[in-house]
Amino acid sequence: MKNSEISKLEIELLIQAIFAKYQYDFREYSRPSLMRRLEQAKIRFNIKTISEIQNKVLHEKDFFPKLIPYLTVNTTEFFRDHQYFESLRTKVFPFLKTFPSLKIWVAGCSTGEEVVSLSILLKEASITKYLIYATDINPMNLEKARKGIYSTELMIKAEENYKNAGGANSLSDYYDIAYESVKFHDSLYKNVIFSDHSLATDSVFSETHFISCRNVLIYFNRPLQERAYTLFNDSLVRGGFLGLGNRETLQFSHLKNNFIPIDLENRVFQKTL
Amino acid sequence: MSIEITRLNRLFAILVMWVVAYQVTQIIKSRNLSFIASWIKASSADLSTKLGGELSIEEVGNELLQFLEEKTDSKVSALYSSEDSKNLNFVVGRAFRPEEGKEKIQLGEGFLGKAAAGKNITVLNNITPEHFKIITAFGESSTASLTIVPLISNNKSIGAIELGHMADVKDYEVGLFEEIRSIVTSAIKSAQYKQRLNDLLQEAQQYSEELQVQQEELRSTNEELEQQAQNLRATHARLENQQAEMEQTNQQLEEQTQTLETQKGLLNERNKDLIASQKELENTAIQLKNASQYKSEFLANMSHELRTPLNSTLILAKLLSENKKKNLTDEQIKYAETIYRSGNDLLNLINDILDLSKVEAGKMLVNPEIIDLESLIVSMELLFRPIANDKKIDFKLHIENMARKDIITDRTRLEQILKNFLSNAFKFTAKGSVSFSISSVDNLISFSITDTGIGIAENEQEVIFEAFRQADGTTNRKFGGTGLGLSISKELAGLLNGEIKVASQKSKGSTFTLLIPRVLKQQTDKKEQFKRAPVIDISAQTEVIKDDQLQNEIFKFSFEDDRDNIHEYGRKMLIIEDDEEFAKILFDLAHEMNFGAIISQTCEEAIALAKHYRPNAIVLDLRLPDHSGMIVLDNLKMNPGTRHIPIHIISSSDFSRSALEMGAAGYILKPVKRDQLLIAFQNISSKLDQKLKRVLVVEDEEVQRNHIFNLLSDHSVEVDAVESSTEALEKLTSNTYDCMIMDLSLPDMSGYELLSKISKNNATYSFPPVIIYTARDLTKEEEERLRLYSGSIIIKGAKSPERLLSEVTLFLHRVETDLPVERQKMLSELRSRDKALEDNTILIVDDDIRNIFALTSALESFGANIEVARNGLEAIEKVNSLPQINLVLMDIMMPEMDGHEATREIRKLEKFKDLPIIALTAKAMKDDRDKCLEAGANDYLAKPLDIDKLLSLIRIWLPQKRTFTK
Repeated sequence: MKNSEISKLEIELLIQAIFAKYQYDFREYSRPSLMRRLEQAKIRFNIKTISEIQNKVLHEKDFFPKLIPYLTVNTTEFFRDHQYFESLRTKVFPFLKTFPSLKIWVAGCSTGEEVVSLSILLKEASITKYLIYATDINPMNLEKARKGIYSTELMIKAEENYKNAGGANSLSDYYDIAYESVKFHDSLYKNVIFSDHSLATDSVFSETHFISCRNVLIYFNRPLQERAYTLFNDSLVRGGFLGLGNRETLQFSHLKNNFIPIDLENRVFQKTL
Repeated sequence: MSIEITRLNRLFAILVMWVVAYQVTQIIKSRNLSFIASWIKASSADLSTKLGGELSIEEVGNELLQFLEEKTDSKVSALYSSEDSKNLNFVVGRAFRPEEGKEKIQLGEGFLGKAAAGKNITVLNNITPEHFKIITAFGESSTASLTIVPLISNNKSIGAIELGHMADVKDYEVGLFEEIRSIVTSAIKSAQYKQRLNDLLQEAQQYSEELQVQQEELRSTNEELEQQAQNLRATHARLENQQAEMEQTNQQLEEQTQTLETQKGLLNERNKDLIASQKELENTAIQLKNASQYKSEFLANMSHELRTPLNSTLILAKLLSENKKKNLTDEQIKYAETIYRSGNDLLNLINDILDLSKVEAGKMLVNPEIIDLESLIVSMELLFRPIANDKKIDFKLHIENMARKDIITDRTRLEQILKNFLSNAFKFTAKGSVSFSISSVDNLISFSITDTGIGIAENEQEVIFEAFRQADGTTNRKFGGTGLGLSISKELAGLLNGEIKVASQKSKGSTFTLLIPRVLKQQTDKKEQFKRAPVIDISAQTEVIKDDQLQNEIFKFSFEDDRDNIHEYGRKMLIIEDDEEFAKILFDLAHEMNFGAIISQTCEEAIALAKHYRPNAIVLDLRLPDHSGMIVLDNLKMNPGTRHIPIHIISSSDFSRSALEMGAAGYILKPVKRDQLLIAFQNISSKLDQKLKRVLVVEDEEVQRNHIFNLLSDHSVEVDAVESSTEALEKLTSNTYDCMIMDLSLPDMSGYELLSKISKNNATYSFPPVIIYTARDLTKEEEERLRLYSGSIIIKGAKSPERLLSEVTLFLHRVETDLPVERQKMLSELRSRDKALEDNTILIVDDDIRNIFALTSALESFGANIEVARNGLEAIEKVNSLPQINLVLMDIMMPEMDGHEATREIRKLEKFKDLPIIALTAKAMKDDRDKCLEAGANDYLAKPLDIDKLLSLIRIWLPQKRTFTK
C-alpha cells in the first residue's frame, strides 16, 4: 500500500470514528479538501499521522472541539460579494415584501457576518416582520456569532462592501467600539435564532421564504449536495428564494426544474410558483 | 355455326373478365402500395416530432421503442448506442433487460454486434423458439423473428435497434424501419452530443467548486497564520517581560531549592508509607464491600432455605396440637402449641430478615398503583379495631380534608410500614389512645400514628431504626418482636421516596410520621425508563410491519392494469392505492368512464409513472406502504410538467384542508360509497374538457378591481368582480368558483367576518380556495387567523401582481372544490370512530405557522382541543393559565426560549412534573433525543412528522394523565 492510500484509509477511519462518537457527519464531504485541512491540522497539533488524530479524537475529551475548525472552513466577511447583497436588495426583497411575515434561513452561518449583513439590509428595506434561522454545525462558530463581537480590523473592508452593496447609511451606525473590538447592536439580533443544524443529517425545521447557503455546498460531494438541495426545496414556500455561493449552481441538480435563476451571475434562484 | 359463335363469345367474355380482374388487382395493389407509403411517411413524421426537442438518450430510446411497439408488431425491443464505434452500450429496452455484465457488446462480435456493424437492416425469420421468450404472468411464448436495425452516421456505427416479433416481419414494417433510420440516427447523435456536453460541464463545475474550496482554504489558512503571527508577537512581548522577572525569581528559587532538596528526601519516605497504607485501605474497602454484599446475598438465600423446613415444622406442630387422634396428654398438646408459636415467631423473624436483606441488596422493586386514602384508612381500622377493643385502648382515625384523596405509590410497602407503626403503637401502649391521621403537607402525604405508650428517650431515637436493636435491651423481653420492623420500615420508606420522623417523650408516648410524595416515580433513571416505556416498542413494531408489507405486499395484485396497452384508450388515469379490493373497484370504474387505468401501490413508483405516462387524472390514497401519499401530491404539484393533472384524494384520514391547499382537486373520505365515487369520476370526466374556470374577485376599490379583472381575463377565465361582502355571499350561494381573491377591508363586513361566515355556513355557500390580496400590514395574530382559511396571503406591492397571477393559475388546475356538506358529515363519522383524543386539550408549541396549521387541523379532526404557543415563554404562560391542558407538543428550535429550556422550566413546577411533553425536532442524532429526554420530555419524535406516528404517541401518553383525573 502506498503512503497516499494509507492516508486515504486513515481519513475514512477518522471520519467514521468522529461520526460514531460525536455524530458529526463528514462522511460525504469532499475528500481532497479534508485531506488538505487535515495536513494543516497535523502541522498545527504537531502530530505525525491522521491515525494519531483519531486516537486523540477518541481518547482526549477536549481535542475534538479544537479539530472542528480544521474540518470545516470558515471564511466569511461582512457583505461578502457585495453584488450578491445588491441583488438581494433590488431583486429579491421587493418580492419578499408581498409576504405578511418572513422566515429566512442562513445555512452554514459560520461566525455570523452574513447574518448581520442581512439584518442590516432588511432594516434598511423597512422589513420588520422577519425571523432569521442561522444554523451551523460548529458550536464555537455559533457562540461567536451570538456574541456579535468582531475585531475592528475587519471594519474597513466591511464598510467598503456595505457601501458597494448599496447600504444607505454608514456601517458604524450599527455598532459600538470598545477595546479594539466592535459590537453590533442588539436590535440586529432580536429576530435571529442561532442553532445547531447539520445539512448532512438533520431535516427541515420550518417553512422559509429565503435561504442563503453560500460556499457550504462546495465542500460536499454530489449526493450530499443533492440532499441539501432537497432540504431547501422542501423548506421553501412557492416563490421562495435560494442564494448560493458564486461557484455553486443548481444546474446539475435533479431539482433544477423547480427553480428559476433570478440573477444567475450572483447565484440567486427562485422556487417556481 | 351458332354453337361456334356462342363458344367464341364465351371465350371472349372469359378473356375480358380475366383482363378486367387483372387490372383491378393491379389497381388495388398499387393503391395498397401508395397507402403503405403514405402510412410510412405519416408515421415517420410522427416520430420526428416525438424525437424533436432536447431529449436525453434514454428519453429518445423510450419514445422510439414505444413508437415501434405501437406501429409494428414488435413485442420486445432494445436500443443500444455507441460513442466510440467499438462498443455497443445498452440504453433502454421494453420487455427486455440484459443480464448483469452484458450491458456492453463489442461491435462486430456476436450476432447483434455483427449485424450492427453492417450497413443494412437484418431480418431473421423462423428463429428457434428457444431464442428469446416473452414471459408474462400467465405464461411464456417465443419470438418468431428478429430485426436488427444498425444506426450509422458518417460511415460509423452509433448504435442499433433490436426488435423481436411474434410473427414474421412484414415488408411494410421493414419499410418503416428503413424510413426512420435517419431520424433516429440524428436524434441519438444530438442526444450523445448533449450528454458529452453535459458531462464536460459537470466536470468543469467540479473543477470550479474545487477551485473555490482551495481559495476558501487559502483564505482561511491565511487568517489562521495572521492570527498566529499576532499571537506570536503578543507572546513575544510578554515573554520578554517575564524573562526579566524570571531571572530575579530564579535566584530566589535556587536558594529555596537547596532547602527543599533536603526536605524532599524526608518527604519521599513518608510518601512511600502513605502509598502502602492507602493500598491497604483500598483492599480493606473492597473486602468490606464484598463482605456486605455476601452478607446480603447470604441472608437472602439463607432465609429462603430456612423457611422451607420451618413451614413443615409449623404444619406438623399445628396438626399435633389439634390432637385429632386424642392420644396426647394436655401437657403434650401444650408443648406442640409452644412449638407452633415459637416456630411462627421464627418465621416472622426470617421474613423480616429477608425483607431487610432484599432492600439492602437492592432487589426489592416497587410497583406503583392508585390508592384511595379513604379505603386505606378503612382497611387499617378493620385490622386494628379488634386489638384496640381487646386492650381497651381508644383508636382514632382521621383523614384531613384535601383536594385529592388518591395517591400513587406501592400499596404493599405502604401498608407494611403503617401496620408496623400501628402494631408498635398498640404493643407499647397499655392505656390511653392510638390515633392514625392522614394529611397533606406541601406535595407530600403525611401518615401519623400517635400513641400514649412508653415513649422513647431522646438519645435512643436514632438507635431504634438500626437492625436488631430496640430502645432498651429489656424491651424485647417484655414486649416481644424482632426489633427489625422499624429498620425495615425505614428502608421501605426510602424505596417510596419518603422518610420517617419520630417525635417522642419517655413515658408520654410517641408519634411516628411517614412522609411520601403523592405520586411515586419509578426510581430507575430516566433513560432506562424511556427504554422500557411501551412507546418505543409500539413504534418499532409498526415500522417492522411496514417494512414487511413493503417486501411482501407489493406486486401482488391478481389483475393487470392497462399500462401495456394504454395507447388504446383516449384518456389515462393513474390510480394510487395499495388495497387490492379497492384498487379493483376504482379500476373498473375508470373503465366505465372510458379511462385507461394504471395502478401503482407506492409513492415512488406513482411519481415515476405520473411523469412517464402523464395521465389525465390521478386518484390517490394517502396511506401507502412507503410514504404518505401527500408526498406524491407535493411532488407532482411542484413539477411544472405534472402540475396541471387533477389529483383526487380518497383516504381514510382527513387532511383535506392541507391537501386542498397543496392543490388537490378533490377529497373523499373513506369509507366511500359507489355513488360518491361515481359522482367524483363524472366530475373528473366532465371537467376535463371544460376549459372555462371561474374566479370571484371581492375588492371595493374600482381601480384595483379592474386591474385584477384585466390581469386574469387573458387566461380563459371567467371573472366575477364584486365590491362588497354581501354581494360576494350572494354570488357564492348561486355559483361555484374555482378560486376567490379578496381584499380584507371591505365596506360592509370585514374580510375576517366574511370568511368565518362562509366557513360556518358550509351548506349555504360553496367555499373555494381563497387568496387574500391586501395592502394591510398584518400582525402575527392576524396572519395566523387568516391562515386557517387561506394558504396564500399576498401583500400588495411592486411584485404582487406577478405572484397573484401564479397563485391563481395554480388554483385553477383543480377540477373540483370541496364538497362541504358531505365533508362535514364524514368528519363527524370519523370522530365517532376515533375517540382517543376527544375532549383532550393539547398545547402545540411551535413558531412555524405551517406546522401549527398542519398539526391543528390533523389533531382537531380527531376531536382534540388545540391551544397554541409560539415560543417557550408563551408555553409556560399557557400551561399555568390553562389547567385543562393535558399534553404538550414541544418544538425545539424556537425564538425567545427554546424547547429544551421551556421543558425544563415546566418540569420545575411541581404540578407539571407529570404533564406529558412530546418533543418535536428536526435534529436526527441519538444524542439529540437524549437531550430532549434529559430536559424532561416524556418522548421524542423527529421531523418531518408522520401524523400516524404522532397520533399513536399522543394516544400512548394521554392515558397516563387520565389515571390522575379519573
